[in-house]
Parts: sequence; C-alpha cells; structure tokens
Amino acid sequence: MKREVGHIDTFKYFLLPFCLFVFGLFALMLAVYFSASIPIFQHEGLKIYTTNVWRASENPNKEFYGVLAAIYGSVYTSVLAVLIALPLSISFAVFVIDYAPKKIKEPLIVATDVMAGLPTIIYGIWGAFVLVPILKKYVMDPLYAHLSFIPLFSFKPVTGYSYLSAGVLLGIMVTPFASAIIREAYRSLPFMYREAIYSLGATRYEATKILVKEIKPAIVAGLLLAFGRAIGETVAVSLVIGNTFNISPSLFAPGYTISSLIANQFGNAFIYKYMVSALFAAGLSLFFIGLAVNILGILILRRYGHAR
Amino acid sequence: MQGSLRLRLFKEKLFLLSIAVLTIATVLPLFHIMFSIMIQGIPVLIKGGWGFLTGTLAPPGGGLGGIGPAIVGTFILTFLASLIGLPVAIFTGIYAAEYPNSLIGRATKTLLMVMMEFPTILVGLFVMDLVVLPMGSYSAIAGALSLAIVMMPYVAVYTDEALRNIPPKYREGAFSLGLTRAKVVFRVLVGLAKKGIMTGVLIGIAKVAGETAPLLFTAGGASRVYFDGLNRPVGAIPLLIYNLVQQPYTNYHEIAWGASLLLMIIFLALFLPIRLSLKEVKL
Repeated sequence: MKREVGHIDTFKYFLLPFCLFVFGLFALMLAVYFSASIPIFQHEGLKIYTTNVWRASENPNKEFYGVLAAIYGSVYTSVLAVLIALPLSISFAVFVIDYAPKKIKEPLIVATDVMAGLPTIIYGIWGAFVLVPILKKYVMDPLYAHLSFIPLFSFKPVTGYSYLSAGVLLGIMVTPFASAIIREAYRSLPFMYREAIYSLGATRYEATKILVKEIKPAIVAGLLLAFGRAIGETVAVSLVIGNTFNISPSLFAPGYTISSLIANQFGNAFIYKYMVSALFAAGLSLFFIGLAVNILGILILRRYGHAR
Repeated sequence: MQGSLRLRLFKEKLFLLSIAVLTIATVLPLFHIMFSIMIQGIPVLIKGGWGFLTGTLAPPGGGLGGIGPAIVGTFILTFLASLIGLPVAIFTGIYAAEYPNSLIGRATKTLLMVMMEFPTILVGLFVMDLVVLPMGSYSAIAGALSLAIVMMPYVAVYTDEALRNIPPKYREGAFSLGLTRAKVVFRVLVGLAKKGIMTGVLIGIAKVAGETAPLLFTAGGASRVYFDGLNRPVGAIPLLIYNLVQQPYTNYHEIAWGASLLLMIIFLALFLPIRLSLKEVKL
C-alpha cells in the first residue's frame, strides 16, 4: 500500500516542477513590471496615471510622463469594439445555431474561426490601407460635414487614423471570439426549452428573445473576454489609431492606447532616464486591467458552467 | 387581435432579416481582407518571382527585392519556440488533467486560461527586460522565448482537454492492469489523446508564427541578413510587415502586401486542415 502511494507521488513530483515553473514565470513577470516601474513612481508618484504629459528631456529632472491619454484611448477603443461586437456576436450565434440553412452553417463557423486565429498584423495592414480610407470617406467625412456640432463628431477627420478606426477594427477582430463563447452557451440550451416556448405559440422572434435571456451570463463573459482581447491588442491598433497624445471625446480624433504607446515609444526610450520606467508603469496598468477583466470573464463562465 | 398577430409576424420577419444581415456583416470583413490581400499581393509575388522568397530587402524606392531573411527567421523562431515551450506546456497540461481537483491543478487551469488571454506585448516587454538587456542585443533566442511563453498556454489547455475527454473506462482499465500512474498516462492516455494534443501543438504553432507584438523588442528584426546565430537579431514575416507598413515608400508597401499574402497562406495551410479535421471528429 505504502509503495503504491509512493509511485503516485513520484509522478506528481515529476510533473510539479513544470507547473511551478509556469507559476514562477507569471509571478516573475509581475515582479519585473513592479520593479521596473519603481523609478518613475519615485520620480513623480501616481501622476504617471493621472496626467496627460509626455516630456522627454536630456535632463532627468525635467522629464515628466503621464500616460492618461493612453489609458483613456485603450478603454475608449475597447468599449467601441465591444459595442460593435455585442449585436454582431449575438446575432451570429443565434443565426448560425437556429436559423442558418444547413449548408452554410459549418462554413460560417469555420469562417469566424479563421477570423479569430488570423494573424493580427493582417488585420493591421488591411486596417491601415483599406479600412481607414473607407471609414474616412463614407463615415467620418459625411458625419463631420453634417453633424459636427455633436461632440462625438466634432473633430475634423484629417487622416482618418482615429479612435473610431481602431474601435471598428478591434470590433471586427474580437466579434468571432465573443461569438464562439456565446455560440457554445446558446447551443447547450436544452432542446426542451425551445419545444416549450414554441408550444405556447411564440414567434421565432419571441422564442429567441427568451432563449437569449437564458444565456445572459455567457454573453457578459464573452464580451468581457472580448474587451480583454481588444485592450491587449497591439500592432493592428497602433497602425490605425494615429499615435497622438490626445484625450478627446470625438470619435474621429487620433489617440494612443497603452499597447500602441509601448510599441511606438520603446525603441527610443533608452536614451532617457525615466522613459523606460514610465512605459513599464503603463504596462503595469495594462497588466492589471487585462488580469481583472479576464479573471472576471473566466469566473462568470465557470460559475455558469457549473450552474447548468 | 388580427392586427396584433400581424404585428408579431412582422416583427419576426424583421428579426430574421436583421440577424441574417448582421451575420453577413460579421464574416464580410474576412472576405474583404482575403480579397484585398490577394488583389494587392498576387501581382507582387508574380513580379518578384522566386527572388521575393529568397532575396533580401530592396532599398527604399528601389524595386521589390525579397523577404528571405524574414521567412527564415519565422521558421527559426517558431521551431525554437516549440522546442522551449512544448515540453513545459504538455507536462503542465497533463498535471492539470491528472489532478483536476487538487488546489494546484485547479489553479494551474485558471492560470493557463488567464495567460491565453494575456496581452502579448507585455510578454515581449518582460522578455526584453529579462534577456535582451543583460545580453545587450536583440536576439533570436529572446524572440523564441517570448513566443514560447505565448504558445505555452494554448498547448497546455488543449492537452488538458484532450486528456479529460478520454472516457474514464480506459483509465480504469489501465489502472486495473496494475500500471503505475506514469505508465497509465504516458503509455495509454497520451496515446489516446494524441490527436487532441497534436491539434493543440499545431494551433500553438499557427498562433506564434503570426505573432508580432512579442517580437517587437526581442527578436529585433533583420531584413538583409538571413541568420547570424542565436544571440543575434533575427527577422520574422509579421515583424517585417509591421515595419514596412509604417514606411512612406510605395515599394515597401508592395512588399508588405506580398509578405501578408505569404503569411496568410502559411496560416491557412496550418489552420484549415486542423479545423476541418476537427469537424470530422465532432460529427
């Protein structure tokens, strides 16, 4: 008996180091972000998160960095992405499970799976060279021409690189991902529900309304995870956001996101004393936002999965 | 009464129409992207010929040259990342599947799922601080390490799920033969879950072959030198595209389109067979 227990344990202890390595790696990552951020915290405290300044200087005393514009841009563009993904992903899930003709059902799902996995740089080049000109010509210019008194449309779209472009591109990118989560939940609804609803004489619209209500937690989780994916996306966004320190309510204004700020500024950050640290501090904020959103999404999914 | 029924039926029609339209809107971008890339990329590949695949980058404003170093770099980085990442990923996945109710097992599963969604630029920055700064130079090994960290959770989660999906009777049968746990797992279960694990490996490879952000500050990029050693900067196709798109030169944009077409073909060649074979398994 004793020996058998010993056998089980050797296997466990053989595997355990790999697990611990992964945990250690993650902990080390957090530690690196904290320790690399310390200099900027000592230099200017929490102002790094609450101001919108980017003053690089040869003289370290004159250096001052505030990444508020990037945090604002990250949240703004990711919210736009989720607003776009919300109707698209639910409609797609419902249509593909309940109403699509059998022949196109599978191709539609394969198409969204390809979209979910497609290298993001491909979205990036398409966004920069194709999507931005289309959005500028058919959306931004007309809206600005007629409705520029509304703050949302008040910025003159000069180049087209803007929050809107980034939000739309991100929305396109994260919709398949959100939709996959919603689709699985919708598919797993017992068939009895459908039978019961239709036996009451409901139309398909009424039936779907009731069924979609049933999977609300999965929709929330899917959108949260989509938000997390959108906020972490780097290259596609940085090619269409315009990379400008800017906090504007207007959809057509260029801006920054945390990840595009890092991608853009890191190359020359080493010349200055505090810029590297400032960028790590920006990364730290992304770290926590990403972690919080993803853990919340996973927890909701898990609780929902257990409840069923 | 009649009126309200008519209204309900009208609402139903409107509803069906709108979700059909929104479904088309969901997948339309994919076709627009593929179409754009083919329209822009095919002429570049034809004009560049073999030289486009093997040559080095042209000077600004001067023809196409080739993206050979980026292609070589992508293969080297993906291979090295697999070498580093796969063993850790598979063993971690086995742990999560074998001890699903232990504290560490559950925590591992959660951590893997969090890491899957973790912003990849943060991984790149982390590896830069850990490897590039001490070494004093961008390097192939730093890029590969970064990609290995990105790949790891995908492979681990697939391994875990493949093992969990094996019917318990196989496990019970193997144990009843008096095999140790290690033998049950490696001789019996891993064999049965081979397909699921391979799927995870291929998905992981397809994923990192197209990654850009983790390479920005680790691999460094190289467009005129093929391979200069593990401790030297190396190129990658996505990284090259990212850099070329930001240049003002028309010929660089052409090269970027050509490289995108190539990247898309590589991705589809890896991804589509996996995805289509999965359907067979499911049905």
